[in-house]
Amino acid sequence: MKVLEGKDPLWLLGSAADAMFIAGPDGRILAANRAAETLFGYAREALLNTPIESLIPPRFRAAHRAQRTDYAAHPASRVMGSGFDLHGMRKDGTEFAADVSLSPLEDGLVLATVHDITRRKRAEEALSEQSARLRAIVDTAVDAIITIDERGTIDSFNPAAEHLFGYAPSEVLGKNVSLLMPSPYHEEHDGYLQRYLATGEKRIIGIGREVVAQRKDGTAFPIELAVSEMRVGGRRLFTGLVHDITQRKQAQARQEELIRELEGANDELKNFAYIVSHDLKAPLRGIGSLADWLVADQAEKLDDEGREYLRLITQRVRRMDGLIDGILQYSRVGRVKETRVEVDLNQLLRDAIDSLAPPEHIAITVAGALPTIRTEKTRIQQVFQNLLSNAIKYMDKPHGEIRIDCVGAGEGWEFSVSDNGPGIEARHFKRIFQLFQTLAPRDRVESTGVGLALVKKIVELYGGKIWLESKLGEGSTFFFTLPKRGQSTLTTRRGSQ
Amino acid sequence: MKVTCKSIMLVEDDQVDTMTVRRALKELHVMNPLQHVENGEEALNFLRNPANPRPCLILLDLNMPIMGGIEFLQIAKHDESLKGIPVVVLTTSEEQEDKVESFQLGVAGYMRKPVDYPQFVETIRTIDAYWTISELPQ
Repeated sequence: MKVLEGKDPLWLLGSAADAMFIAGPDGRILAANRAAETLFGYAREALLNTPIESLIPPRFRAAHRAQRTDYAAHPASRVMGSGFDLHGMRKDGTEFAADVSLSPLEDGLVLATVHDITRRKRAEEALSEQSARLRAIVDTAVDAIITIDERGTIDSFNPAAEHLFGYAPSEVLGKNVSLLMPSPYHEEHDGYLQRYLATGEKRIIGIGREVVAQRKDGTAFPIELAVSEMRVGGRRLFTGLVHDITQRKQAQARQEELIRELEGANDELKNFAYIVSHDLKAPLRGIGSLADWLVADQAEKLDDEGREYLRLITQRVRRMDGLIDGILQYSRVGRVKETRVEVDLNQLLRDAIDSLAPPEHIAITVAGALPTIRTEKTRIQQVFQNLLSNAIKYMDKPHGEIRIDCVGAGEGWEFSVSDNGPGIEARHFKRIFQLFQTLAPRDRVESTGVGLALVKKIVELYGGKIWLESKLGEGSTFFFTLPKRGQSTLTTRRGSQ
Repeated sequence: MKVTCKSIMLVEDDQVDTMTVRRALKELHVMNPLQHVENGEEALNFLRNPANPRPCLILLDLNMPIMGGIEFLQIAKHDESLKGIPVVVLTTSEEQEDKVESFQLGVAGYMRKPVDYPQFVETIRTIDAYWTISELPQ
């Protein structure tokens, strides 16, 4: 090639992109190219005759001298990237990672080529940092993470997995993952995997489910298993995320037990109400009958006082009968479920007023049209009947006025029953809604003290509220609300009736 | 009752309730003889003995020891020879469950025992009136 004729070998050096030096046997630089000047920041004159060590950081110089002596004894070509991490130092003292290749020349001369690998190093460091970070995530994860290959062989087993299953990684790596499962999954797992690989039908992969796992000591425990599939370097791997749900399961079991207990208590209460109705009433009826026969058969043997006592016995028997009925009514609310129907409250109130047959001097008016609501008819009837019968029963004015009103207040209906009766002191507002609480002596007004308690229970079961406003001597107004929607709060777990 | 020669069976464990029924029947001049047994098992034994007269009506309490009314009905209403005898439940129970179960077992009536004796008499009077008008199979 003509163009190369007469060219100095140093011309070749000069045109190379990488920094090149020729060093003598004593390590002194005999020649350097332009790239070398640029890389290290020295003028060529400053490089010539200086020891090659002046181009590396001081802390590596002694070792480098030793290596150089060694190399001089056994000179051989060393190519780039053969595993030596070297550092160069520029004139300004800054360092850089370098890859160096060496070629022995004649007479103990050595050609050194220096390549700046800072960028490659950075990329490598970034990659290893990222993989270290990923490894740290896997290693510190609370859940066990296990990867298997498509034959089911365990490929990785993180510290949480060691802790959870009681195996060291060395005991499980390379073994079949069915080792971590109790029978029958232990035997069936290979089949699952094969079926998936053959059909692609996912039963657990990407879905996750609750299964049972087995520890090294043979104990089984519930886990939540999520499996994902991945391909790494042509290999198909499955990653299982295992979360121990023993505690959750125990909490669930405990909750179920509590519900069972509650149901038991509820059944007992139901039976209790039944027993009260029957077993208490039977002797009561006996007392009533016997008192009645005494009056009928032995009247002539009794004086007025005796007859009065018997009358009082009969009256008490009726009162107790009323109380027992009250308990039953009260306990039936919420326990016995009725079919919900559309109830026209206008019609319902007409019927209720008819059945109460208010005396001549009491006028009951319904202000405007009432809504039709979907509810249990008997219950809503009980609410109005009790409020109205109270208003009638306690009326103390010559012209009694009872008024029923309803406003559709937003989310719910607000009903009111007001009267011009005796009124109730504010300090009794709470008491009157309690079971068996009355304000008038029972001998004056026969009352069981169940009515308002019943009304409150019904209204609250429907998700409503009840309250009253009253002025002593002027009358009372009872308010209650019923939600327009979501009247479904009155449900029993297993309403059978 | 219409057929005076036939007896009425009362299945009742409470002594005063039994007295109440007897007294009410007497007061209403119901002349049918009253056959009293104390529980369902005694009633079955009596009814299944061919030597005993067959009652034209059974008044049945529900809550009784040994064998209660519902259990009695479950057996009697599945027995070809007994299912034809009308049964009127006479009880304290107001439970829907008892009513539903009784009627599913084919009772002819369900009456509540009132606490008050005069009302009790009225209840018995109603039963008597009904079974005076109603025809019974021979």
